[in-house]
Amino acid sequence: MNFLYFDPGLGAMIVQAVVAAAAGILLFSKSVMYKVKSFFGLVKEEKDTYDSIDVEEQDTDTDDKKN
Amino acid sequence: MTKKTDAHQASFRDPSGYIFYDGKTLRRAIKPIYFPQYNKLKESGFFKNLISKGLLIPHEETSVSSEEIIITPEEIPFITNPYEWSFEQYKHAALHTLKIQKYALSKGFILKDASAYNVTFHKGKPVFIDTLSFDFYEEGTPWRAYKQFITHFFGPLVLAKYHGTEIFKMMQTHIDGIPVKLISSLLPTRTKLSSVVYPNIHLLAKMESKHSEDYKAETKIATLSKKSQENILESLYDYIKDLTLKEASEWGNYYDKTNYDETAFEAKKTLIKEWIKPLAPQKLIDVGGNDGTFGRTVIDSVPHIIVTDIDSNAVDYNYKQVQKNKETNMLPFVCDVLQPAPGIGFNNTERNSLIERLAEYAPDVTMALALIHHITLSGNVPFEKSASFFASFSKNLIIEFPTRDDSWAQSLLVRKREFINHFDFYNEMEFEKGYLKYFTIEKKETVKGTKRLLYLLKNKNHAS
Repeated sequence: MNFLYFDPGLGAMIVQAVVAAAAGILLFSKSVMYKVKSFFGLVKEEKDTYDSIDVEEQDTDTDDKKN
Repeated sequence: MTKKTDAHQASFRDPSGYIFYDGKTLRRAIKPIYFPQYNKLKESGFFKNLISKGLLIPHEETSVSSEEIIITPEEIPFITNPYEWSFEQYKHAALHTLKIQKYALSKGFILKDASAYNVTFHKGKPVFIDTLSFDFYEEGTPWRAYKQFITHFFGPLVLAKYHGTEIFKMMQTHIDGIPVKLISSLLPTRTKLSSVVYPNIHLLAKMESKHSEDYKAETKIATLSKKSQENILESLYDYIKDLTLKEASEWGNYYDKTNYDETAFEAKKTLIKEWIKPLAPQKLIDVGGNDGTFGRTVIDSVPHIIVTDIDSNAVDYNYKQVQKNKETNMLPFVCDVLQPAPGIGFNNTERNSLIERLAEYAPDVTMALALIHHITLSGNVPFEKSASFFASFSKNLIIEFPTRDDSWAQSLLVRKREFINHFDFYNEMEFEKGYLKYFTIEKKETVKGTKRLLYLLKNKNHAS
C-alpha cells in the first residue's frame, strides 16, 4: 500500500527511467575503468571518511555486492 | 499511559504519526494507518539492523494499543538543520540518506521521503531521525522521494560546488528544498555536459515543467526496475562522494594569523581549563569557537560540547577532526551570531530558531573567545545588547575582551576611519557596565602576554 502525502512530481517519476539508463552506462564504464586502472596499479585511496553505500551485514546474505 | 503535554511543531506533514513532548521526553505516536509498515519493519529485524549499524536513531516501544503505538527515541541533545551544516556534513547527510534507501530497497522497503531534516548529527556522525519514513517497496515503482532528494540534497551540494557553501542558507527560505528549475538556472551551462548533473537536474527541471499541468494525474508513470533504481542511487552516491568545493577550501588557519604567540595561547588554554573545572559542566557551547581548539581542551571532562563558527571551512575542519578522532561528544555547526538561524516553516515554528534551541539546550558554560570585538566593532552591536543575547541562554559565560590596545581591535577600529570617535565606548569600563546588567563578575584576568582580558561571568537569573 502506497499513499502519497506529498506530491512526488510527475516529471520526477518519469525522468527516473532516463536517469537510470544514464547511471547504468556510467557505472558500467566506471567499473571497466576501475578494472583497467587497478590492473596498472593506479587506484587511489579514498579521502572521504564516509564509507561505502552498502551496509555490511553478517546476518544475511541478501545484500547484493557490487563488482 | 503517557501524557501528551505538547505536540512537536515540526510534526504534522506525515499522517503516519507525530511526535510530542511527554513532560520533557520526546516520544513518537504511530497511527493505525502505519501499523502494517511498523509491524513489518519491526518483525523483519529491519529497524534492529539499521539501529545496530548506527544509521537510525534507536528507539524503545513504550506502549501499544489498537489506536496508537508509542515509541520513545534516544534523546538528541541538539538538533542542527541543513542550513547550519558545513560542506562535509551536508555531503555525509546526503550519502547517509542514499545508503539507507539502498539498504531499504534490498529489504523490500523504501524511504518515502528524503527530506534533509530527517538527518541530523549525533555522537559525531549523521543519523536518520524519522523512524516512520519507511514504506513498502512496490515492485517496478520509481522512487517517490527522488525529487525531494534532488531539491534537498543533490541540488544544494552541486550548487555549493560552484557557488560556495553560502548556498546552503537558501534552505532557510525554501523549507521544501531549492526548486529544481532554480537549481538548473543557477548552474553553469557546462554542467549540461555532465552525465550525472544533466539528467538529475537539467532534464528533471525540463520534465517537471512539461508535466506540471497534468491536473488529473492522467499521464502514465513508466515502471522502473529495482536494479535501475539501484543504479540511480549508486551513481548519485559516487558523484556526491567525489564532490569538492570549487572555491579554495583550505581552512583559514586563523590561529596563525592571530596576534598572540604560543605562550599566550597556552596561557589562555590553561586559564580556561582552570575556570571550567570547578563548574563541572554537562553541556558547553563555544560560540565562534573556530575549529574547536578551545572546546577540545575540556573534551575529556564535558559530556556534550557544541562549537559554532561563522566560517564554514573552520566548521568543516572541526567536523573532520571529530571523524578522525572518533569523538562522540563534539557537535560543530555553522552560525553567524549577527544573524542566527530564524524559525522557519508553517507558523514559523516548524524548525526552531537558533535562539530557541539554545535556550532549550541550556548550556552550563558558554564560551565567547575572541568574538566580542567582532560583534561590537564589525556588527555595531552595543555591549548591553550582546550581553542580553548571551544572557538568554547562558548560566556561566567565559568571555574574552580584547582591549583597545589589542592589535585586532585596533585594526577593526582604524577601519572605521572618520567614524572612529563613534566607537570611543569600546573600552573595559563600558563593557563591564553593559554586561553587569545581566551578569556578575566571578573572575577577571589578563591573558598573559596579551592585551586581552578574560572574564568569568555568572548570569543573575541563574543564582545557584
